[in-house]
Amino acid sequence: MKIKYIILTLLALGFIGAGIGLKMFFKPHADINKLEAEFKVEATSLMDEFQKEENTATTKYSEKVLEISGKLVAKSKLKNGTDLLILEDEMQGVSCQLDSVWCAANQPAIQSLETGKPVTIKGICKGYLMEIKVSPAVVVK
Amino acid sequence: MLKKLFILVLLTSSVGAFGQGKFIAKNAFISFYSSTPMEDILGESNEAVTILDAEKGEVIFQAIMTTFHFKRALMEEHFNENYMESTKFPKTKFKGTIEGFNKDMLKGPVANIKISGVLNVHGVDKTITVPGTLGLVDGKLVGTSKFKVTPEDFGIVIPSVVREKIGKEMEITVKADYLPFGQ
Repeated sequence: MKIKYIILTLLALGFIGAGIGLKMFFKPHADINKLEAEFKVEATSLMDEFQKEENTATTKYSEKVLEISGKLVAKSKLKNGTDLLILEDEMQGVSCQLDSVWCAANQPAIQSLETGKPVTIKGICKGYLMEIKVSPAVVVK
Repeated sequence: MLKKLFILVLLTSSVGAFGQGKFIAKNAFISFYSSTPMEDILGESNEAVTILDAEKGEVIFQAIMTTFHFKRALMEEHFNENYMESTKFPKTKFKGTIEGFNKDMLKGPVANIKISGVLNVHGVDKTITVPGTLGLVDGKLVGTSKFKVTPEDFGIVIPSVVREKIGKEMEITVKADYLPFGQ
């Protein structure tokens, strides 16, 4: 009788373990739209921080969710279809690759964006490589 | 007026294509591929930056490790945390020179080239010579390269339990659509 319970317990534990393992294996990518921004910053001040002290800024912002406001200076599509927004400076500004799932559902919002106008985006900061790389990102307003 | 504009466009475009200076690609593609019996591992980034010096034939290529995107979030996590240690070594860099470089390579059709230089991955430098292509595609300068690297050469430790599941060599593919900049 006792052995039956032990086997059952072991089986149950095995199933739970396998379940957790599978869940971890198939864990989806983070949905940027649902994540809370840890920092709300102006694109220009963010650029300042990275240009002055890249290492400090990288430690502070890398892999964090940022809400960034600034002037949209370029809007384009990469070859693979990803929408790209650049804030403040085409060469050394904030370069944001938009989230493809979000883009598919929000094409009108992207099309209505005009260069020269202010825009606010939310995305994961990847660090500094001539410009500040943010991906994936979504447009907040 | 129209004539002036035409001349201006002609001037700027010719300076752009054949002027001295540098070429840049800010959204260059780089992928990392390893075939395994269980599942193929493919990481891709469209956020690499590369600069090609049109005078000396020097190429600089950089990518941020965390911009590599994988099909599964778990793969991405393992890649950054266990293998590349992306917090400690956030970037990978390559600096090299095109062998036998001459400026005609920037104006002609796509041709095979060889690039020699130093590749830095995971904080470890290694001198490599890799094959590639360079030339005009629809009037734009395009550079590509495909080569293999061994993780162990860069001090990347793969535990023996999973060693068999990860290919011995990783195939790196690079593609850049260059635009002229600076004078």
